[in-house]
Amino acid sequence: MKVRILRQSGPYGKPYWQTFNYDGDSNASVAAILDNINYSDDIVDSEGNPTDRISWECSCLQGMCGACAMVINGVPRLACDTFAKDLKGDVITIEPLKKFPVISDLVVDRGIIQENLKKVDAHIGEYHQEEERDHELEYQIGRCLKCGLCLEACPNYVKGNNFFGPLFANDSYFVASRSRDNGDQIKKDYKKHFAKGCSKSLACTKVCPMNIPTLASMAKMNRGF
Amino acid sequence: MSKVLIIGSGISGLTCAISCASRGAHVILVSPFPSERAQSVLAAGGINAVLNTGDGDSIEQHIRDTLKGGCDIAGEKAVRGLCTAAPDIVRWLESLGTVFSRDKDGEIGRRAFGGQSYPRTHYAGTATGKQIVTALVMEARRYEGLGLIERRFWTDFYGGLIKDGTCYGAMLYSEATRTIEAVTADAVVIATGGQNALFGKTTGSTQCDGYTAGKLFTQGVDLKNLEFIQYHPTAIETDQKKMLISEAARGEGGRLYYEEDGKRVYFMEDLYGPGGNLMPRDVVSRCIHEAGRQVYLDVTFLGREKILDRIPEIYELCLKYRNLDITREPIPVVPSVHFFMGGIAVDLHHRTCIRNLYAIGECASMYHGANRLGGNSLLAAVYSGKVAAYDIKDTKTGQPDWSDLIKEENDKLIQKRNSSSRFPVMYVRGMLADTVNSTLGIVRDKATLENGITDIDYYLGIAGKINYDRSELEYYNYSLEGILTLAKAVLISAGSRCESRGAHLRRDFPERSDSLSKATIISYDNGKFTTRLSGEDEYEG
Repeated sequence: MKVRILRQSGPYGKPYWQTFNYDGDSNASVAAILDNINYSDDIVDSEGNPTDRISWECSCLQGMCGACAMVINGVPRLACDTFAKDLKGDVITIEPLKKFPVISDLVVDRGIIQENLKKVDAHIGEYHQEEERDHELEYQIGRCLKCGLCLEACPNYVKGNNFFGPLFANDSYFVASRSRDNGDQIKKDYKKHFAKGCSKSLACTKVCPMNIPTLASMAKMNRGF
Repeated sequence: MSKVLIIGSGISGLTCAISCASRGAHVILVSPFPSERAQSVLAAGGINAVLNTGDGDSIEQHIRDTLKGGCDIAGEKAVRGLCTAAPDIVRWLESLGTVFSRDKDGEIGRRAFGGQSYPRTHYAGTATGKQIVTALVMEARRYEGLGLIERRFWTDFYGGLIKDGTCYGAMLYSEATRTIEAVTADAVVIATGGQNALFGKTTGSTQCDGYTAGKLFTQGVDLKNLEFIQYHPTAIETDQKKMLISEAARGEGGRLYYEEDGKRVYFMEDLYGPGGNLMPRDVVSRCIHEAGRQVYLDVTFLGREKILDRIPEIYELCLKYRNLDITREPIPVVPSVHFFMGGIAVDLHHRTCIRNLYAIGECASMYHGANRLGGNSLLAAVYSGKVAAYDIKDTKTGQPDWSDLIKEENDKLIQKRNSSSRFPVMYVRGMLADTVNSTLGIVRDKATLENGITDIDYYLGIAGKINYDRSELEYYNYSLEGILTLAKAVLISAGSRCESRGAHLRRDFPERSDSLSKATIISYDNGKFTTRLSGEDEYEG
């Protein structure tokens, strides 16, 4: 099996493609394949040329932290949650997320996610104790990894513009439903930074590794629940 | 207004940051990655607290269970503080937006966990840690908006700014600028988690490596009880790591067995009665080890509906990584390194032996003695963050001039990286993991521990001489010596405790010794490691 990776030596480096051979377990996750290429021996490309180790970010290695988000065979996914046996063809293509600046190889700076949430001061503040609530939806939103896959897939999300993307729709509902004093403000911010920009492609729901029902959050927010 | 530097942004670091900011302090919260990547998000099962005494449970019982689970070497005053604060902590977390599960009466859901007399582990599905992180990140953002918390990402700890027994801040390394800078503060709080990298891959995060504890140890910080390393009894083997099967599976009724002559032997129930599957983790892991064959965890009899309702993440995990349908088949489980009871020695206020330096969460050694009860780690993470914050005062300490030190350390880095050496630092880490796994298994003995120390001395000899591998993050290079030093301290501590207690089992000293009902303290001075026993009143009293 070949593994083709779009690499970049640093934030200002020029991107280039490099191909590696992989002959390990065909049931392995893409994360395991990257580990295998990096540490099975001195790292060489498929032509036998020595090269630098591949930079990629990982933490939990079991789909619970969102560190290893990348584009695999054209689809934004988590490397630890994507398995070679489920991918078509003999070549796995791996690229960094394109909506974020590259730090090195497959490592990107997703700081814009925190910056945008900070801009609108998304927090609960005074807690609204309410028994009649959509507990299940809140629980699902609470699982959001802030991995950026939904932003990568979203046709409307462009770095630096006013549209904060699907994860913001979810966080908006989370705050609006639980906050006594910050709900009205977040509803305004939702309109400004989400509702006006969403074209409802629903690409976000297809790539979310936690299967968060963003459409349900949008429906609640649009109705003013 | 005091200035507080917090290293690490998991549950403990976030709690401390929020608590300091709420008291008007200015907080710099440092971590390489956002809190969503912290190991805290992997804490699945729940958080212990006695919210309801209707079934006969009490805070006193929570204290007794914790002390007993810890095999009588945790400090009673410390544990009393922890358990007494627990109900308020759970309510506080809910008020910040933690989405706890609800029972049929609308109360916060609770389940039975190992080593506890009553069900008192409150949970948010099987993602309790993750839900708490989500809530704390939002609350921290409130203080970010007020300018009281300043978050710094892509930044690693390099060393403490320590002089004459006082900490004045820390040296931080930026991967972006590839330089070290001095960040001064009235207090520094270490919240960097456990020591997973010593073992390679554990049930936890690859980001928790113990470097900070190892480095501070060489700078004069005492470490404590390093020999107590918890093997969680139920993990599944996968390609890359052992993945945790939460105690929730047994809390919901899951049964452990092995097969003998074609029959199932429910060995924990045979040994300890109907509650045998929920004995403390050290006991269950030891029994699995002694069984000497493949052990299975069966939940099939709970039925598909209950499994998908109560432990859906376990169902998904097994299906995804082992192609195993736990509604139909038993789970083959193995014990795996999971939690470090040992770490930085701290007193009741989470002060280290260095003035103005604190340690909280898993990197600190407190409350758990020789074995931690499930559900007490999330509690201790939050509680310790609050306790440290409460103790931090506006010291207004005059600052020494650090410019020469910073220049010296930056020059050292430049010299080390000015090389085309390809020496693979990660291979040394791999060798270390092989050594530590083979010497610090569930059962240890003197000879293997001593061989392990010889191996680590060899790696340390290499680490001091090699230049940096430029194809790795610089952090991996400069952290190597600190990690190796910590590993050596762990092995020396394990060798010094000549008894079996909790998670520390010695083949050559199989019995518990009453005279050793104390903590092990290890200190470092110019390459010399010294261990001693410490009574409760020194650190935990």
